[in-house]
Amino acid sequence: MSDKDDIETPVVTEAAPILEDENCEPAKNSGSLDLSAKPESKSEPVVSTRKRPEFKHSSDLETSEVLPVQASEAAGKEAVSKDVPQTGWGYWGSWGKSLLSSASATVATVGQGISNVIERAETSLGIPSPSDISTEVQYAAGETNAKESENSSPVSGPFGVFSTISTAVQSTGKSVISGGLDALEFIGKKTMDVIAEGDPGFKRTKGLMNRTSTLSQVLREVKEKEELWTSNEVTIETDKKTHYGLLFDEFQGLSHLEALEMLSRESEIKVKSILNSLSGEELETLKLELEQLKEAFSLAEFCEEEEEETKGDEDFTKEITELFSQLHVSSKPEKLARARNTAYEWISTSLAKPLEKKEEGEKQLEAEEAEQISNSSIEDIHAFAIRSLAELTACSIELFHKIAALVLHGRKQEVSAIERSRALSQMTVLLCKELSSLSKEFTTCLTTAGASNSASYIQDAFQLLLPVLEISLIENKTELPEA
Amino acid sequence: MATTPYNYSYIFKYIIIGDMGVGKSCLLHQFTEKKFMADCPHTIGVEFGTRIIEVSGQKIKLQIWDTAGQERFRAVTRSYYRGAAGALMVYDITRRSTYNHLSSWLTDARNLTNPNTVIILIGNKADLEAQRDVTYEEAKQFAEENGLLFLEASAKTGENVEDAFLEAAKKIYQNIQDGSLDLNAAESGVQHKPSAPQGGRLTSEPQPQREGCGC
Repeated sequence: MSDKDDIETPVVTEAAPILEDENCEPAKNSGSLDLSAKPESKSEPVVSTRKRPEFKHSSDLETSEVLPVQASEAAGKEAVSKDVPQTGWGYWGSWGKSLLSSASATVATVGQGISNVIERAETSLGIPSPSDISTEVQYAAGETNAKESENSSPVSGPFGVFSTISTAVQSTGKSVISGGLDALEFIGKKTMDVIAEGDPGFKRTKGLMNRTSTLSQVLREVKEKEELWTSNEVTIETDKKTHYGLLFDEFQGLSHLEALEMLSRESEIKVKSILNSLSGEELETLKLELEQLKEAFSLAEFCEEEEEETKGDEDFTKEITELFSQLHVSSKPEKLARARNTAYEWISTSLAKPLEKKEEGEKQLEAEEAEQISNSSIEDIHAFAIRSLAELTACSIELFHKIAALVLHGRKQEVSAIERSRALSQMTVLLCKELSSLSKEFTTCLTTAGASNSASYIQDAFQLLLPVLEISLIENKTELPEA
Repeated sequence: MATTPYNYSYIFKYIIIGDMGVGKSCLLHQFTEKKFMADCPHTIGVEFGTRIIEVSGQKIKLQIWDTAGQERFRAVTRSYYRGAAGALMVYDITRRSTYNHLSSWLTDARNLTNPNTVIILIGNKADLEAQRDVTYEEAKQFAEENGLLFLEASAKTGENVEDAFLEAAKKIYQNIQDGSLDLNAAESGVQHKPSAPQGGRLTSEPQPQREGCGC
């Protein structure tokens, strides 16, 4: 319970009728706005990792702001069952796309790949996580949208943006359901349609009842399709090596994700029931604290200094270890660091080879020869790259899952949930950057779809930790015996 | 690495439960790696293992959730039971306390899984006959009274380890065959994969075909 959190996010504590009943629900968004850019029409794999809210935004971007939401909606519809068996890059592309569109966190990615316009909007505004959106919407709904004025201060930045969103949303006359991180549970389903109809209360409950699709399920479907195709293809051996989904599963990424989802879900249910049991001041106080927690969960730093890319092995290991220690959980990110370092070693040796040869040889023959060399190794590099990304992502998800388990089991907490949230945000950013730079290393022969998928998974997994932290905050505070 | 064949027809989710130190992780390791892991660290939350087995000519992928046995993780591990088709409930034949706690584990297993979940009781460390603290007979009787499958096994020697996992799988498969296990039920713990050798669809709902990414 060390409350040394210097929360300098004095955020809008004012109104915050957050967590009202309608709140903790799947973030859905009014699928209303008219947007022109259709995500799916873009065939290219998306390039960079998602960006997250930055501190300054201009509030004039309503349209583009909402865009991603729509994108997700639209993309979601086709996400799940797109089974056009394709191979090679084409296959990858569409696979990447369907996967991407299936998770809420990927919304931004998709958007980004689709058009620069969106990307611009995104970087300037940040794409709020679904929970943020919903919170905010609620916010604005509960209050008047007098928020824009606060945009100038860094702290209120996100709120300003959000109120813009909500204003836009409201003005369309559609209702928006507030919600939690479980937007991702619904992506790819028809939920969005339903939502657009309004009647948040009802929908929400309904959503709760049939949460038939979780992120891990969606991913599992993708993997199964890969398996299916794989087993049908002649070139099974080589092919298998480059199926990200299969590999991700082989490294138990899916399982850990599923387990994390289970913990997240349970925590969420507990939080809700506790909130329901409280009233008056107690309730207000708690809501406030939960709100602060949510803020700590935004990935605000994502846009910072993209430049400082290449870190040494020690740097990464040190950094992740340091962040880990801030969590005060009895576990270490060694496995992750090892996987990461192995990948980089491999890269450096494989990059070294062709270069040497080039230097030795005469210039003319060179061209052809070099070509051959690089051609022959492209498959290897590709396979290794995909494998590395899959492994690293799986390790990251595992880490998040373990963190959830450890946070939940601990009784006494030497560190506040908010502090943990901050460390987790930073960790997510670090991991995503790491994956992005790893993938850059392979740029010439790799579609970066792998990286953006990876980043998306990690960020989704990160969001799944929110309820876990929430319940830990509550339990710590109220000293409820652990059930 | 690409050792895993992908052509199985079912996936069964298993959970392994029981007190700390009874050898849950070692049983899993023996089953998946065919090796004995002499000292294995405490499990945090849950770990995973997979292996494909064959029952009545059908390839089945077992997806095994090896839960933490430490009491302090109990609340966490309860979250993992959902959707298990099979549960291996393990005690240590050389430590009676681990046997005495079975009823509590059984209660959890019953409450947190579906009625069709197959539970097999496993008395581990059967190689340590000299230190036996729980007789085969009493455990057998406990199993019968509660409708559980039962085996004594040794993660160290590998004795009965295969059988433990296989027996449960056979029973589950049988339940599928005789219709008592509804595959469509949300939490049956079983996924059926249509083994469609010629690119069958996994989803019934046809989607508009999108352009196939020319890059």
